[in-house]
Amino acid sequence: MTGTIIGFGKTAGQARRARGATLAAATLALALSTSTAVFAEDAKFDPNASITIGSLYEPQNLDNTAGAGQGINEAFNCNVYEALFTLTDAGDVQPGLVAEQSVSEDGLTYTFKLRPGVAFHSGDPLTAADVKYSIERVTAEQSKSSRKKSLSTISAIETPDDQTVVVKLSARSISLPYNLSYVWIVNDAAKDLNASEDGTGPYRLDEWRRGSSLALTRNDKYWGTAPTNGEVVFQYFTDATALNNALLTGAVDIITSVQSPDSIAQFKDNPDFTVTAGQSTTKQLLAFNDRVAPFDNVKVRKAIARAIDDKKLLTSIWGEYGTLIGSFVPPTDPWYVDLTAVDTYDVESAKALLKEAGFADGFTFKLDTPNYDPHPIVAQFIQSELAKVNIKVEINVITANEWYTKVYKAHDFQATLQEHVNHRDIVFYGNPDFYWGYNNPKVVDLIKASEAAANTDEQTAKLKEANTIIAEDAASNWLYLYPQIVVSSSAVSGYPVNGLNSQFFAYGIKKSEQ
Amino acid sequence: MLLRLLPGDPANALLSVGADAAQIEKAREQVGSNLPLWQQFLRFAGSLARFDLGTSFVSGKPVIEEIAARLTVTVPLALMGFLLSILIAVPLGILSAVKADRWYGGLISTVSQLGIAIPVFWVGILLVTVFAVTFRLFPSGGFPRRGWQNEGQVLYALALPVLTIGLVMGASLLRYVRSATQDVLGSDYLRTARALGASFPEALVRHGIRNGAVPIVSILGIELATTLLGAVVIERVFALPGLGSMLLLAIEQRDYPNVQGVLFISTLLVLLIGFGADLTQRLIDPRLRERAVGGSA
Amino acid sequence: MSPVETSVSRREQRHSLALTLGLALVGINLLVALLTLFWTPYDPLNASGGRLEAPSLLHWLGTDRLGRDLLTQLMIGARTALLVGTGAVAIGATVGVSLGVLAAFATRLADDVMAATLDILIAFPTLLLAMLVVAASDSASLWTAILALGLAISATVARLTRILAKRVLRQDYIVASRTSGTSWAGVVFRHVLPNIWPTLSVNFALQFGLAVIAEASLSYLGLGAPPPNASWGRLLQEAQGTVYTAPIGAIAPGIALVALVIGMNLLADGLRDIGDPTRGRSR
Repeated sequence: MTGTIIGFGKTAGQARRARGATLAAATLALALSTSTAVFAEDAKFDPNASITIGSLYEPQNLDNTAGAGQGINEAFNCNVYEALFTLTDAGDVQPGLVAEQSVSEDGLTYTFKLRPGVAFHSGDPLTAADVKYSIERVTAEQSKSSRKKSLSTISAIETPDDQTVVVKLSARSISLPYNLSYVWIVNDAAKDLNASEDGTGPYRLDEWRRGSSLALTRNDKYWGTAPTNGEVVFQYFTDATALNNALLTGAVDIITSVQSPDSIAQFKDNPDFTVTAGQSTTKQLLAFNDRVAPFDNVKVRKAIARAIDDKKLLTSIWGEYGTLIGSFVPPTDPWYVDLTAVDTYDVESAKALLKEAGFADGFTFKLDTPNYDPHPIVAQFIQSELAKVNIKVEINVITANEWYTKVYKAHDFQATLQEHVNHRDIVFYGNPDFYWGYNNPKVVDLIKASEAAANTDEQTAKLKEANTIIAEDAASNWLYLYPQIVVSSSAVSGYPVNGLNSQFFAYGIKKSEQ
Repeated sequence: MLLRLLPGDPANALLSVGADAAQIEKAREQVGSNLPLWQQFLRFAGSLARFDLGTSFVSGKPVIEEIAARLTVTVPLALMGFLLSILIAVPLGILSAVKADRWYGGLISTVSQLGIAIPVFWVGILLVTVFAVTFRLFPSGGFPRRGWQNEGQVLYALALPVLTIGLVMGASLLRYVRSATQDVLGSDYLRTARALGASFPEALVRHGIRNGAVPIVSILGIELATTLLGAVVIERVFALPGLGSMLLLAIEQRDYPNVQGVLFISTLLVLLIGFGADLTQRLIDPRLRERAVGGSA
Repeated sequence: MSPVETSVSRREQRHSLALTLGLALVGINLLVALLTLFWTPYDPLNASGGRLEAPSLLHWLGTDRLGRDLLTQLMIGARTALLVGTGAVAIGATVGVSLGVLAAFATRLADDVMAATLDILIAFPTLLLAMLVVAASDSASLWTAILALGLAISATVARLTRILAKRVLRQDYIVASRTSGTSWAGVVFRHVLPNIWPTLSVNFALQFGLAVIAEASLSYLGLGAPPPNASWGRLLQEAQGTVYTAPIGAIAPGIALVALVIGMNLLADGLRDIGDPTRGRSR
């Protein structure tokens, strides 16, 4: 029996908390000074160093089409498995295993020439058949990949020769290369991808000790630039305090994203550590079930948005860090519009809206709250804020797994808290079957049209319009944008700081010789 | 059977979002959750007899394999913690009973009072703060990747968790040792032995240990089982991949094969320890040898 | 005066001291808990200060991340702790004593089966059993935590009751009274329960303390009482991430918890000496 569980996809934190990601078009300054990379120091580095990365996101299994969670992207994307295209830490889509591509006039046929001389870790050469197999693995019926829907426009894949893949679409898809960056190219002869791997990346899997660590060693036959270290070990923790202690005591070299301002305080102004702020795409949401009363009423949703002081909440959770947002789109996306002025904190107008909606005396609702930080504390804040407009909140604490089955799959909820880590995930509001059940035909059309756009300007314009409507509708309540902060020992450098889509490229990390 | 009380169908684990009825039925067939409860139970019992604990829904790894890996952490941790607690509790317990009038006798029992009232994770966090973060004497957590291929590293990594278990369990054990010693001290046979001319230490060792040890051994059995199965909190504090954290994770993920597997192995361990404790008691006290099996009062 | 007697009187002195101290600790807790029903320094649910303020005259123990007064939370925590302890022991006692008495009266075979089952159950740590019970419920609440702890306690209580009850049933006068036709229930309520009560009550006091500790551990694992119940376990868990910047948040609930548990344990020791004076005299 192939055992798998829980495709949390990328929408939710099956693994705990979140991690930021961003697009290249970074124009806004975040709360901290932003730097897109930590540049390698000139000091001598040890080419065979072992780098230990501390993380809270242990994968559930080793297959990203089998619901392994965000942890597998962190460990495997571009380290063990490569894709036709690569989403860089800066947010550019660059060719990966593709050497050249051509697109037909109508935008419905993509022809990819594969990079020659690439081999899998098992020794098998990379062929077009492997690519076809890999894409179909993601779009297959039993696949739990979150990108399944984005690839649904693929109507056929042809392999005229070993080095050529032709992808035919039923409709234009401007994000096809972007979406293909999520598709791992695996050997079509590989067995048991749940517990082992066969990719083309710069590292091969050494050992996965469940509940503790996952180790990668350098692939000496790698086709591209060799890694600047010999081995990478992901050390997993369930508790953020234990993770901080591990970095403090030198047991790990890097924490990929710090989860509280209080732990940043431990590392800041300490010459032994480097604290870097990247660009975040992690949004804290109070998501309503827009299908059910009273949240099917726009006025109620807007009233709640106005009754909660997001700024005070952000300060409580993140101190001086983090950013306020007025919609689901972070400032670093091309289709960002500053919507923070929509439904700002205003208790009186919230009361007025509730009265108009027929809830002058308030109502009671159940808030499904994941049992890990910061959700329980956010829930308490919301509870006390909404009490001021006579809305009573019952906090219902659930595990990450219950969230997935009850909220995400069964849509059996009134309102919930969740962090959304994904890059470019506004498209979720164009899917009426998504867990929050937001259904505005205009938005659905706009998002569909943006994907079929002929160029990025048209795509951006359409998404900006959709974004504004979603915010005016208060489809959900977007509380704040997490900061994205990486802390490392000052002996290591060259790591990605944005952690885009949970990826963590390890091949450029250098550790100075001690 | 308790497992079936867990809400949700285990087949859920195999499904992706938006599965239709046919897919659901297929998944249920695959896991066997479409069968009546009693048939599921029979199936389960049958595979247990063959020591086949199945495959994890989540990781796709055989359950028994993962349990084996976890036991290489939990068993040494529990045994060393257990030994340390005996080393702490027995001498100090006897001392505090015999020298109850001296200041240190009182001090020992006061400290042990404190020891049994502190939550174990608090002790763990305190030890980490002092010995790992402040003085950098021991690692703050984690288990060496190569495990027992490098004994030194493992012992180093387990130092603080073992100390935590030793202290907390030692405190509770100490109270039993103390009270057992008091019982022995007040007993007629000890007085008789002394009246017959034996010196106090001689009498204590010859008669005291034999009589006092019997109840202690059954307490020890329970404490050992508690440490083996209840190390989940310690494992959390020190980020150790043990049996307890496997169960916690499996419960959270509704990974039924893993939950069943851990409970099965735990029950076996408990029975084994109980048997061991029984045997030890018989060795210590010849009077018990004739008693029928089963009466553990 | 012989040395043995001296030691006895000193022991008694110490025991009365233990009992007094135990009563005081538990009493203070009870008073604080009652007080919170009418008055707390601040509103427990709303911010009354800034984020993680240090202790001051306004906020004696400082504030939490949401700016709520920690002393207020701690005082309400005393109420929650009493509720958890009392609730868990009540459930444990009801289920445990019933099962124990049943086993004591049962046929040899049924008794053996029950005894063996209890022996196994008892070796499973309270926390582990509680984890399973919490997992079996759809969502965590204070009541599932109490129920879980109560059921876990009941195994220990049942085992103890069974042993004690059997001992009582073997007494000559009970055997006589049973043969003379006293009803089953009559024996239980007139003879068994009054006889085993002193020992049981000592055990209940100990289990109370254990339940309070176990609730803290459940909270630490994320399975305890959910907010807004201010339980010490949850306060400890929430303060974990800020232990270096605001240590008071992790220290104060810990001390409160330890004080209550020590109080209950001392009370148990004291009760044991009252209930079983022979222990004291034989020394």
